[in-house]
Amino acid sequence: MIKVKDVSKVYGKKEGMFTALENINLTIPDGATLAIVGKSGSGKSTLMHVMSGLDHITAGSIIIDGKELAKLKPKAMDRFRATEMSFIFQSFFIEPNQSCYQNVMLPLEIAQVPRKKRREMVKDALLDVELESKIDTDASKLSGGQKQRLAIARAIVNKPSLIFADEPTGNLDSATGDKIMDLLFELNKTLGSTLIIVTHDHDLAARCKMQVRIKDGKIESMKGFK
Amino acid sequence: MYFRDVVKRGSRSLRASKLRTLLTALAIAVGAFVLSLTLAASNGLHDYTGKLISNNFDPSELIVGRDKTIGSGSAAGSDPQEYDDSISTVSVGAKSSVQVKRITEAEAEGLRQKPYVEKVRENFQITIRYITREGQKKYTGGAEPYNPSQKPELGAGAVPSGGDIKTGSVLLPEVYVKLLGFQNDQDAIGKTIQVDIQQPFSTESLKALLTSNQTAAQLANSEAVKAKDQVFSYTIAAVTKKTATSLAIGVEPIRISSTDAREVYDFSAKGTTDYNKYLFVSVQVKDGADAAKLNAAEDNLRSEGFYVQSSKDLQKTITQFVNILTIMVGVFGFITVIASVFGIVNTQYISVLERTREIGLMKALGMARGEISQLFMIEATWIGLLGGALGSIAGIVTGIALNPYLTKKLDLGAGNSLLIYRPLQMALLIAALMLVATIAGLLPARKAAKLDPIEALRTE
Repeated sequence: MIKVKDVSKVYGKKEGMFTALENINLTIPDGATLAIVGKSGSGKSTLMHVMSGLDHITAGSIIIDGKELAKLKPKAMDRFRATEMSFIFQSFFIEPNQSCYQNVMLPLEIAQVPRKKRREMVKDALLDVELESKIDTDASKLSGGQKQRLAIARAIVNKPSLIFADEPTGNLDSATGDKIMDLLFELNKTLGSTLIIVTHDHDLAARCKMQVRIKDGKIESMKGFK
Repeated sequence: MYFRDVVKRGSRSLRASKLRTLLTALAIAVGAFVLSLTLAASNGLHDYTGKLISNNFDPSELIVGRDKTIGSGSAAGSDPQEYDDSISTVSVGAKSSVQVKRITEAEAEGLRQKPYVEKVRENFQITIRYITREGQKKYTGGAEPYNPSQKPELGAGAVPSGGDIKTGSVLLPEVYVKLLGFQNDQDAIGKTIQVDIQQPFSTESLKALLTSNQTAAQLANSEAVKAKDQVFSYTIAAVTKKTATSLAIGVEPIRISSTDAREVYDFSAKGTTDYNKYLFVSVQVKDGADAAKLNAAEDNLRSEGFYVQSSKDLQKTITQFVNILTIMVGVFGFITVIASVFGIVNTQYISVLERTREIGLMKALGMARGEISQLFMIEATWIGLLGGALGSIAGIVTGIALNPYLTKKLDLGAGNSLLIYRPLQMALLIAALMLVATIAGLLPARKAAKLDPIEALRTE
């Protein structure tokens, strides 16, 4: 469960001050699918960053599974991110000159998963995204859709409880994008991880059970919340 | 991240940009090459001087003299010294000469009586007229008493494993073998050579003439006014080759036993003012292989006003020279390494900039700052290892290729090499370069660790 309480985020000081988030309140249950929508500059990315602990908040609190992020020490925060969270980005961010195996293994290395278990876990994740045959292929040889599937495999390999996806279909054509979305929702069901998608794509957002629309750093509307 | 994973990941990133890695490593390799050559040359020179000393000097022997040039190994002082009978002039080069206070036979005898002295060998200056053999021409040459601590390389024959050669025998340098009409080295063994020694016209002979009551006319024709000479015959016990580590200048002298040397010396120098005065004597200390006993003997001799030089002192004088050279060349190598450090800093900075995304992703996935900086430092360490290894290998190959040529050119003698590589030294050199490279990677690594993941991951 993620609780976002009265969260504000302010950049700069005095004249240059800019309020990115203002009094955000959200409660997201485990296993939920949430879409954060809004125009660029609305603050939707900032909200994702503060929820993942990459960015600090100015006021309020974010509590994930009973842990208040602001109170975690850097080491504990790193560990928390390494074991409980993962990310999918619009431009994939995979290492082109490394093999699929190396790409997917990165989170396992960071989380210090024992060496013997790694290959098995990577295989499982690649199987889930139907790239098992490409395990030793260089990532540069993959197509756009395959690259994003590889990124998804990397995101699920460590069985995180929380997956953040920042415009996951933004760089893909609509047919491939649809397939990626099908995959993400299916994995949400089978793995039970909470999926938080940042997007300005209304069709994509509509497929999430919960939606929140951000405008000028404030919640404009919410859907699917109890 | 486990350290092992960091090391692997680092090496993978380097392999991804092979050319850049190689070029950066080459800068270090140049430094490693210079340093490895310097070390090898220094090893070779130290070895060579060690051989030079051990082949010419008995470590349990001390060179003992009355003049401070003996102790310091440097030229005499420029201040005049108080005259006494034992001082003589020794010419140095063409135009200069030094006054050297010599040690007398009486003093040498005093040394023999000391409890810690095993043996005293006088440094006879023997002048011979010529060396010949029946039916052969006469040739110039020199003679010196056989020194058991000098290990001559033999072409034929044998010398006793310890102690002096037999009285009446001679070690003949190989250059005389053909000149004196022998077939080969083996042919000369057991044959006899003649050495002619001249007796100077001394005050003794003058006295004899003056008391002989002869007329001037008689004297003019008398044999007595002519310089006397005598032929000494010796049996060839062995033929010696000139070794590279011999300190003899010019034609190698023939070597005779100390008893014969004494006889010849007495014949040739008795009655002259130089008789029984030596530039130095070699004092063999009882159990002198024991450093403590040798030092005690040295101290005692010094306290009695002798100037003393041990083979260690001699070696020190020579190695000091070698060390200065080593340091000079080493400094150049060190400067090259410093230059290559900037190469590493530059390469790693560019690498950090190029991999901003990767760093951001790793941070987002929970990689700690320390691990990120470790990753970049390890990459620099790898470059150091590569450069160090390349440079050392190049050095070793150069050594193998050049050694035969250098040995010949520098006349070091077979079995001696100028460039000697020691595995431990090479390993330490590479380790040191890896350390230097790691330190060079510190700054870029810190930049990587400080990177803001949000900025790094922003999609444009």
